[in-house]
Amino acid sequence: MTLSSPLQTPGRAAIPLNVILLLAVAVHGPLLLMQLPASSYDANTHMFFAAHYASHWFSPWNDKWFGGFSQTTYPPLAHQWVALFSHILGLTYAYMVVQLIVILLLTAGIYRYSRLWVDERAASYAAIAGVLLGSLAMLVYQSGQLPNTMATAMALNALPYFYEWSRRASGASLVKGVAITVAGAAAHHVTLLFGLGLFAWPVFVLALLDRRNDSDEASVAGVISRATVFAAIAAVLIAVVLLPYFIETFQHPITQQPIPHGSRDNYLKNTFSGLNFWVIPYGTLILALPFIFVRGTAVGRLRPLFFGWWLTTLIGLGGTTPVAPLLLSFRNAFNILTFERFTFWATIMALPLAGLLAGELIDRFHARAVVGLWAAAVFSCAMGVAWMTIHPINGAPFRVDQVISFLNRDDHSRFRYITLGFGNQFDRVSTFANAGSVDGTYNSARLLPELTAYGSAQLYNAKYYGTAGMDSLRAVLKHANQYGLKYIFVRDRFYEPLLAFAGWRQAESYDNGSVTLWTKEDVPPAHKLEFGAAPPPAWQGVMWGILPVGASIFAIFSVLGISDRRRAVEPIPFPAPAGEPAFREAK
Amino acid sequence: MPQPVCRGTRAGRARIARALAGCAAALVLMPAALAQEITVPHRVAAGAGVSIQTSGSGAATLYLVGPGTAIKRGIRLGTPAEVSGADLRNAGRYKVMVRAGGEAHTANFFVVPGAAQSISFLARPSRVPVAARDAISGVAFVFDNFQNLTTAPASVTFNLAIADGPSITRKTESHEGIAWTRLDSARKAGAAQFVASVPGVEVRRVVQQVASDPCELRFHIKPGKSGIEAETDPIRDCSGNAVPDGTIVTFTENDGRTRSTVDARIKRGVAQAQLPAAPGATITVASGVVAGNEVRVGGEP
Amino acid sequence: MTIRRLGLAALMAIATLVLLAAGYASSGGAASHANTPEAAVRSLYDHVRTRDFPGAFRYVAVASNTDVERFTRDVAGRDGSLRTLSTLQDVNTSVLHENDTEAAVRANTHWSSAVGSLYDSRELRVVRENEDWKVVWPSDKTPNVPPQVLALNFLRWEIIHPAAGEDWGAQNAEAPRVRILNMTPLQHDLGNGLQGVMILGEIVNEDTVPGFVSVTATLLGANGESLGQETAFDKISHTLLPREVSPFRIDFPGAKLADIRKVTMEPTALLVPASADPVIGVLHQRIETDARGHKILKGELVNQSGETVNIPHVIATFYNEAGKVIWVSDGYVDHALQPQIPEPFQLEVRDDMGATPRFRVTVNQYTIERQGA
Repeated sequence: MTLSSPLQTPGRAAIPLNVILLLAVAVHGPLLLMQLPASSYDANTHMFFAAHYASHWFSPWNDKWFGGFSQTTYPPLAHQWVALFSHILGLTYAYMVVQLIVILLLTAGIYRYSRLWVDERAASYAAIAGVLLGSLAMLVYQSGQLPNTMATAMALNALPYFYEWSRRASGASLVKGVAITVAGAAAHHVTLLFGLGLFAWPVFVLALLDRRNDSDEASVAGVISRATVFAAIAAVLIAVVLLPYFIETFQHPITQQPIPHGSRDNYLKNTFSGLNFWVIPYGTLILALPFIFVRGTAVGRLRPLFFGWWLTTLIGLGGTTPVAPLLLSFRNAFNILTFERFTFWATIMALPLAGLLAGELIDRFHARAVVGLWAAAVFSCAMGVAWMTIHPINGAPFRVDQVISFLNRDDHSRFRYITLGFGNQFDRVSTFANAGSVDGTYNSARLLPELTAYGSAQLYNAKYYGTAGMDSLRAVLKHANQYGLKYIFVRDRFYEPLLAFAGWRQAESYDNGSVTLWTKEDVPPAHKLEFGAAPPPAWQGVMWGILPVGASIFAIFSVLGISDRRRAVEPIPFPAPAGEPAFREAK
Repeated sequence: MPQPVCRGTRAGRARIARALAGCAAALVLMPAALAQEITVPHRVAAGAGVSIQTSGSGAATLYLVGPGTAIKRGIRLGTPAEVSGADLRNAGRYKVMVRAGGEAHTANFFVVPGAAQSISFLARPSRVPVAARDAISGVAFVFDNFQNLTTAPASVTFNLAIADGPSITRKTESHEGIAWTRLDSARKAGAAQFVASVPGVEVRRVVQQVASDPCELRFHIKPGKSGIEAETDPIRDCSGNAVPDGTIVTFTENDGRTRSTVDARIKRGVAQAQLPAAPGATITVASGVVAGNEVRVGGEP
Repeated sequence: MTIRRLGLAALMAIATLVLLAAGYASSGGAASHANTPEAAVRSLYDHVRTRDFPGAFRYVAVASNTDVERFTRDVAGRDGSLRTLSTLQDVNTSVLHENDTEAAVRANTHWSSAVGSLYDSRELRVVRENEDWKVVWPSDKTPNVPPQVLALNFLRWEIIHPAAGEDWGAQNAEAPRVRILNMTPLQHDLGNGLQGVMILGEIVNEDTVPGFVSVTATLLGANGESLGQETAFDKISHTLLPREVSPFRIDFPGAKLADIRKVTMEPTALLVPASADPVIGVLHQRIETDARGHKILKGELVNQSGETVNIPHVIATFYNEAGKVIWVSDGYVDHALQPQIPEPFQLEVRDDMGATPRFRVTVNQYTIERQGA
């Protein structure tokens, strides 16, 4: 893949991608070295999955959550790369390194995606804005959504190949684009299903619009048929690579009650959700909205991008408009999905237009614009990171070493345990403890009826789900004997009355009394549970261990090893000074 | 690290010569080592040494295998091989084997437990109601100095005594190292000392003898700050022992329309409760299955 | 930029605003004025749900003779009571009667609490004040007790374990002796319309030390196969003092009495440190019939000890003439028990138990400071 050379016009030069990547390292490297994502919502969950792959590469069955579950319920690529790096760096730093690589891929992807729509200079500004995007900071440091960011990065890098193949039937682009798409699906299926769909159709329309430019003579049918071929090949390969996932999903479809999530709120009525899921992720990009509306609708070639952005933004608003509930009404998708990722994609789609705006402002106001834009971008990123401190997702920090130590000594791992009030530190306990739990963080893998019949997520956060959460907790505690659930670690005294009335007794305390252990004496040791879940057959384990990571390695080699058809460099300023807009596409 | 013997040096050649000479000497001496017998005592007390007699001459290897013991050492045939008492602590069957040349001879002997020197004593239960028949059991395991169960009959004495009360003593012979008894609990509550002893050794356990059900439960009432205060007389069982503090005593007041109950705890021998002042109401008291007197508010008990 | 070019942008901006407005309207729109009695009650509870108590107090009538602090204490709870560990989930309102100046509205509330769901029903008087309807909130009648000095006489059991390395055979303290006095299997509605089998009974601590007890029941089918195993969970007093009797109820949702050949009961007891306090009297117990014609067991709890009981749990056992347990009912009281201050409670009673069933009420409790002490 080659991109056009930066414009060399004095004062209007594009910033080289290498410099932007260095900027990404400079901004996110220190934050990741500080292990900031380690206290995010989901990072410990992904480390938990990775820890299992690190020791059981070909066995996706994990006994540590939900009384046993199959990790084929979640695409493995991000976890497997963390597992591979963990042998050298340890689990936490492996996660951070993979996340940094993903941010670099994402930055390159934003640049390449922006180049489809705007010139190199605006694309370079878009990529810089991408590095400092509030939604990226939220997703990485608050949500800890490594697989989502990885899949988005893959999607963005695949789209220019999709465009190239659709327009010019470049075989190399087909191979590379499909390879990256499959690798992206192996990282996060939902991103590919929804995200790539939202990103791809504007690019497809763009390919149609551009079919006769640059002396190309592609027909509409040709573009459509090539796009269909691309989608078909990618779909077949994804089905093969993720076959164990689809088998598991077919055997155990998600039938559980919807779990409340703030991203489905009406942000105008629930202002905190509005702040958390829209204002902070958008950051100062909100100031560019008028420009996005005006320029996005005014220039014909930008309209697909505008409409893609507009639709994605409306979906990202969750329950604020009727759009998401209506579009995602099939199979209750609205109540299963969370919408922070849609806002993340919407902000990325806004970046090419924001890059254009930045270019025009710099042309007009010079250094003052540079200072103002830089301050605005830094403010967006800073707010995204600082939001974790302003609105912490965890209470006071506490140590779980003693809890892990207890579970790993004196045969205590013969029994199961749960934690209450631990937040995401539960994931850390379950990663390093040998004992199993009936609780778990990845809701879609749950099969225990006491967990799926109520509209609550993790038991350790039961109280936040109101009646559903507490009823679910009561149901699990009622069947403690059947589950071998003997130990309950409590860090929130809210739960103590229920435990006391239900027959548990406080036995020990840790971390200066902030964590207490409650036990029930008549609980027999845990045994294998019979609730419909069974370890996947060995051949699925082998597939799972080889194909997803193999797809990513193939994608790397195909990008590095297959050369692009080179075209003569012909810089065209954008927007064109007069007349028809000029087009410049990525190759 | 053994040196290689086949190197072409002068020292190597000398070692080869010495080895061949040794082999030749062994072949010559072998017929003399074959003519040996083993003589051991049939029984030996645990911890006592033993002298193993052999016949013949020459070098041999002695093997001694017994419970928790395995010894191998070189001996000279024809001279007694001494095995120390430290190697014969564990009672049981021991096997001696003397091996010389390609031939082995074996003999067996028994190490028997020594005199009773210690007791392991199981006393059950740790709490028992007073005046209960055959309620206390004691089992004594008699051991010698080396924790071998003394299988020879030994005289074991069980004694159950409570402060300021008569003691009960039972003497019994141990059978295969075990002696046991069953005793009635005393009529007096308190911590009873339960002792098992053999001459020179005694082991003590404590059996808490606790009061039985309350007997003649009575209470009285008096006006209180906010109603009626009901208080029992000191609550004792039928043997006169104070019922333990903390025992539940239930007061029930019934005024014909409503009922009030208080599960009071005995504290310092009596139970107290506050009940509503309802003229004409009847108040009763009970503890477990035992009912007490009845008092009518505003009337006579 | 031409007007024509701006037209599409304006159109899209308008479409966006319309969609935002539609979403806003469909989620209830802005808080409406309490222009009906029911709206006043709903608005009050909507603010309670979001724990905006000053906001809720705006819907309280002046005639209530209360202030925002007392109102907040009443609604949000105090003294570590169960209400302090509760969040309002739902409220259903129905107007009982209404005229131009006054109305009666029944509010059935559903709370999520630390021990599970709690349901409450209040009949509220709503009056018109100026143009709006306001709720006459029955003010908290809890008397303000002056500071008291109480002589406390604690009685506690502790367990001292011998140091490791004691001689073999050294005795350990046995678990307390407990016995099941009474056991009745029953096919009945388990609540929420679920049919099933319940095992009712009583267990006594016959020992002189406190015991931590639990009861497990196993249902066996015609061929001796296990049909299910359940425990009494919170329908029992787990800590039993000497001679204390606790009822228990074990629910088997979905089971059928006809399929059961045998029931195996497994009481377990553990010697635990415990306190003899607090003593809670259950006064003025009586069975009444409520406005809907259902029987209700009512009474008052009085804490006769010297410290606050945070969460009382009332368990009532009902007997037939032969003294056999025929029903066990329980409920949590969402007010704390301050020493000597009566606190009312009520429990639902099966309507088919006759006019005056025999019953016994016991009180289990949770006290924050005592746990783990």
